[in-house]
Amino acid sequence: MSVLQMNVADEPAAAERNQRKLRLKRWSRPALGLLLPLALALGWELAVRLGLSDGRLVPPPSVIYTTFADLARTGELQRHTLATLARVAVGFGIGVGVATLLGAITGYSVLVRRMIDPTLQALRAIPSIAWVPLFILWLGIFETSKVALIAAGVFFPVYLGVMGGVMSVDRKIVEVGRVFRLSGPQMVRRILLPAVLPAYVIALRSGLGLGWMFVVAAEFMGASEGLGFLLVDGQQLGKPAQIVAAIVAFAVIGKATDWILVGVTAPFLRWEDRFNVHAGEN
Amino acid sequence: MLALVRVGKVYPNGVHALDDVNFSVGLGEIVAIVGGSGCGKSTLLRAISGLDTPSRGQVLLDDKPITAPHEKIGIVFQEPRLLPWLSVADNVGFGLEDRPRAERQQRVRAALTRVGLADKANMWPRELSGGQAQRVAIARALVPQPEVLLLDEPFSALDAFTRIDLQDHLLDLWTDSRPTLVVVTHDVDEAIVLADRIMVMRPHPGRIFAEIEAGLARPRDRQSADFDRIKRHVLTALDRSLDRAATVDSGETKVSTGAALWW
Repeated sequence: MSVLQMNVADEPAAAERNQRKLRLKRWSRPALGLLLPLALALGWELAVRLGLSDGRLVPPPSVIYTTFADLARTGELQRHTLATLARVAVGFGIGVGVATLLGAITGYSVLVRRMIDPTLQALRAIPSIAWVPLFILWLGIFETSKVALIAAGVFFPVYLGVMGGVMSVDRKIVEVGRVFRLSGPQMVRRILLPAVLPAYVIALRSGLGLGWMFVVAAEFMGASEGLGFLLVDGQQLGKPAQIVAAIVAFAVIGKATDWILVGVTAPFLRWEDRFNVHAGEN
Repeated sequence: MLALVRVGKVYPNGVHALDDVNFSVGLGEIVAIVGGSGCGKSTLLRAISGLDTPSRGQVLLDDKPITAPHEKIGIVFQEPRLLPWLSVADNVGFGLEDRPRAERQQRVRAALTRVGLADKANMWPRELSGGQAQRVAIARALVPQPEVLLLDEPFSALDAFTRIDLQDHLLDLWTDSRPTLVVVTHDVDEAIVLADRIMVMRPHPGRIFAEIEAGLARPRDRQSADFDRIKRHVLTALDRSLDRAATVDSGETKVSTGAALWW
């Protein structure tokens, strides 16, 4: 058999090998990130099984899993998760809406920025948790005050991001819009919005992160349901597994919502010329 | 016809950029504006484009004053200034948003084919080379079929080969609809290759110092004796515009010294 023939014969096999390698790569990349947490969990499980620790205060993964399963079976987990998700969603929505509007206006108009930005920056310097007593006095102890706190937490990073984004739009690109005689609204839609979008997505992500942080604070101030309630309940009744289960739930849902946000916005940002953005493509 | 009538510009910070600039450019004529840096040539172009308004005098297009960007005036900047979030084709069609989709697509395709980038239509601007990006910018400015096309040092950021290539390409495009071209440049060769008339400016404040008719047949041979003669002429004017005591039309050495220093 000549060399040439051998190559021809090998080709389909090689292609398939390449395919398999590609598939492996697609799965191995996320798996790389799971390596550390899995190793830690496994290590702790072993430590408890081998009697190196009684695992009472830091329950091993198997116990946490059982707690999860129990909570899910009774429908508790779903109820609490939904309650928390709803609060974050409403608070995030309100915070983002107000922050986007104000950030866009202050970024666009120097006069408005001089008028209201100092006040907003001063308010930003106040730890948002400090508002809790006031919010409760003003808005009661039920949903409104909780949502208000989350919205306040989401507001500031988004406001800053939008304002900074609008302010840093390249003058040269705006001039292209002027050359083509765009009207005000056209300029916003065709130049400013797309130019601000990358900064906006980052602002939304940090806003969402703070939303998850503040929902816990909000639920600490007296809630009868929600993942934050599970935390307080677990502390008061001495159920560390329930606390860890709630924490894990926060981690999973927080990461999932961030992932959704990134996924939804990614198609609009494909044009970005970023460091490292194409590193993963081959 | 494009006419500048006693155009002057003083910036709010007190810089006197332009003073009493008068000239007119006929339809289809190509005028190059050369001058040392800071002589106000970019200011002049921005005044013509309507991006800036002169503090004195007027820019007239067909006897109507230009006070804001005008649909009959297109501009190509030193940088391509493509919108990074639009594909190459959408960038070229940026000024045709109000046209029906089919017409827009057809004109964009024609323009891209004309600049030799039909195969790049669906790429992002970041995937283009500098010369390709500038060609897209020229296509974007030409697609709305302007009567006047302004170019502000359009090829100065490109390497020498690409620059010569694009100069020829621009002339080729110009023959399609023969718009009026006003090219600001600091490259004397570029000015002579392109222009019917070369305006030499002098700084502080920016004024027209000399007006030189190229009067060469196209296509122009960059190596010809006539080309060299005009070039010496322009370089001498440039030297004089900067109040340098250069000897006129004499030895090569003098001229090349001037050429090395003028900008």
